[in-house]
Amino acid sequence: MIPVFLLLWIGSAVLLVREKRAVRLIIILGVYSLISAVCFFLLAAPDIAMAEVVVSAFSTILFIVCFEKYYSNVAPDRKPRRKARAGSRLIPLAFTVILAAAVILLIPEQAPPTYLKDLYMSRFSGEIGGENAVTAIYLGYRMYDTLFEALMLLVSIVAVVHLSHHDDEAVSVETPSGVSDSNIVGVTIRVLCPVLLLLSVYLVANGHISPGGGFHGGVVAAAFFVCRYMIYGITDMRINNVLVMEKIVYLVIVVFSVYFIILGAHSYLPIPKGIFLTVMNLLLGIKVACGFFIVFYRFIAFERR
Amino acid sequence: MAIAQIVEISSIIVFFIGFYGLITSRNIIKSIASITIMEMAVIVFFLGLGFLDGMNPPIGAAVENAADPLPQALVLTAIIIGVTVTAVNLTMLISLTRQIKSTDWDNVKNTSSE
Repeated sequence: MIPVFLLLWIGSAVLLVREKRAVRLIIILGVYSLISAVCFFLLAAPDIAMAEVVVSAFSTILFIVCFEKYYSNVAPDRKPRRKARAGSRLIPLAFTVILAAAVILLIPEQAPPTYLKDLYMSRFSGEIGGENAVTAIYLGYRMYDTLFEALMLLVSIVAVVHLSHHDDEAVSVETPSGVSDSNIVGVTIRVLCPVLLLLSVYLVANGHISPGGGFHGGVVAAAFFVCRYMIYGITDMRINNVLVMEKIVYLVIVVFSVYFIILGAHSYLPIPKGIFLTVMNLLLGIKVACGFFIVFYRFIAFERR
Repeated sequence: MAIAQIVEISSIIVFFIGFYGLITSRNIIKSIASITIMEMAVIVFFLGLGFLDGMNPPIGAAVENAADPLPQALVLTAIIIGVTVTAVNLTMLISLTRQIKSTDWDNVKNTSSE
């Protein structure tokens, strides 16, 4: 089963690299991400597969918005392409093949050590709590990683906001996007909206005992707000409040995790261990949802300038 | 051949397919997509390390023959970072197309030399 999907995966990557037209490129990228998610699932990583599915849907939306702008900006009469010389494709190909062969030859023969895996698997339930070893690691044993990841998210959102400067006033009086003109899409989105919110609450609340967690729930919640935007427009949302809220939530995450994990309050306070994981997942979910919604909003606002 | 080796070799192949797309493409959107390909390949490589056929997901305190949860916890954050990297790239592309009215790397070169 795994080799079949790996072959499909390689094939979709080759298709993607050979594709010339931007529309097909975006669709093949979505297919490639979906096959990657199936591979993750077959490699016994349902957490990663779920994250990949929700995230690839989001990045496909970003690509489509970007594509729309690409065609609204680029002049239709493009100059004819230069004729490619014979060596211009062959030299990079040979270079890549040699590099790949060298790296494949460098793969170590023996399997990596399983010392940490055995340690974590035997102790995570008693020390951190919950049933999901992945959540226990990224919220307990490797809290620093998660803190700096959240910081990276914050920084990249600052970068997106900085690079896409626009006039706030001009956007806030815009009408909703043209999607709600279509009856089918409007009704479907209205039906889907509560389901998305329920799914995100489920993912966050059950993150410590089943696949899921704050990251997944946060992206699904951002999808809920995207749907809400498609129905009602952005007239009733104050984006600056979301920006401030994201930073405050990050501060709360830092304080909370320093108090519990690094100062060790987790081991002597008489609260159930699942509560800590759920609260952390909730905070991370709020932060990720704010971040992704800001990214989407900036893309849309950028589009309608 | 063990399943771990198959996964590792195919992920390296996909990584270099993405690398080839990155160094040869003229279209900037395709370059950004190639970066996504390379990210996925690295993630599959991490998950394939030490994987044996018939392993179970690391969920449940008493699960037998579980997959390694440490690389999974590490790449979970990498996925979220990956999509924000894509978002920053696309934002830069949009600002660029406003100036040069094209998504071709050649035109970028021409503009910067003027």
